[in-house]
Amino acid sequence: MKKELLIIITLIFTFNLITLAQQSKSRNSDIQIQKTWARPAVKYANSALYFVIENRGGKIDTLIGAQSNIAEETEVHESFKKDNDKIGMRPAGRIAIKPKSEFEFKPGGFHVMLLGVLKDLKIGDKIEAVLLLKYAGKIKVKAEVRDMPMTKEMK
Amino acid sequence: MKLRYHLFVIILFWGCKERLPVVDDFKNLSYKLTNQNNQEIIFPDFVKGKIVVMNFIFTNCPDICPLSSNNMRLIQEKLKREKVDNVQFVSLSFDPENDTPEVLRKFADIRNLDLSNWTFLTGDKFVTNAIIKKVGVMAVTSDSTIFKSGRKIYYYIHTDRIQLIDIEGKIRKNYKGSTINVDEIVADIKKL
Repeated sequence: MKKELLIIITLIFTFNLITLAQQSKSRNSDIQIQKTWARPAVKYANSALYFVIENRGGKIDTLIGAQSNIAEETEVHESFKKDNDKIGMRPAGRIAIKPKSEFEFKPGGFHVMLLGVLKDLKIGDKIEAVLLLKYAGKIKVKAEVRDMPMTKEMK
Repeated sequence: MKLRYHLFVIILFWGCKERLPVVDDFKNLSYKLTNQNNQEIIFPDFVKGKIVVMNFIFTNCPDICPLSSNNMRLIQEKLKREKVDNVQFVSLSFDPENDTPEVLRKFADIRNLDLSNWTFLTGDKFVTNAIIKKVGVMAVTSDSTIFKSGRKIYYYIHTDRIQLIDIEGKIRKNYKGSTINVDEIVADIKKL
């Protein structure tokens, strides 16, 4: 009985370790970056990085920028609608992440632009970027290049 | 009495399968363009006799155009699964100065798009502008990025559009490209 209990505890501990390793955390663990992925792009074309920022802490934090070594420029942008059927894109500025909340960067909305990628980003490739938050500091983000999720998943 | 009832039900269901209205027409128009293989293409002649699903893109678009193109892929896959053929997919660039045939080819290849019935088109800016004006698509330059190398790229505010064209070159319905309901357009294609 004791042996079975030990195995279960070990399994739970291992699972938690794996889960934690898959998430990008800030120094104080209040900010979690999850569900990261990036679009495929040809060398010198543009890609976009998507993710969910979760603020588990009790105070507001602010995304103030992003950095990466895989693109000529890295900027936080927002797609916006105009006159019902038109779409444009603009720099997003600073984005407040409220306490105990999630903020989703998703297709058709906020995203980190990887402008002029320095190599082909093929489906399955892994990339890294850094998100800059006012209080949490620099958070390293790992993302897989993959095909678009189904439209329904994005709603 | 029973026969009348059955006739009423049949007529009712027949009526539900309404015809799509004609939005516009490419009749007597022809545009010289270039495909992703650098071959000259006359549009819409090259798709004559086929139903066309068309979107309007620029490849520097990081967010919406890939979303629209992905929806084109989902439509293509659904039609294939349902064994609906005689449909041609067309993606027209409204940024031909950047979107050369080679750029369009790479845009498709990196996404593993099936080009067996999907053509990417570019051409003279005067011609691509004439087409988008004809179909009611707007594309105007907005912000730009200048890289350290001096290379400059533009972004567009543009109509988010996937368009359904029938076998006679008549535009039958417009959809929002980034949020299109795949089931809806597939049902519409079956009505044509």
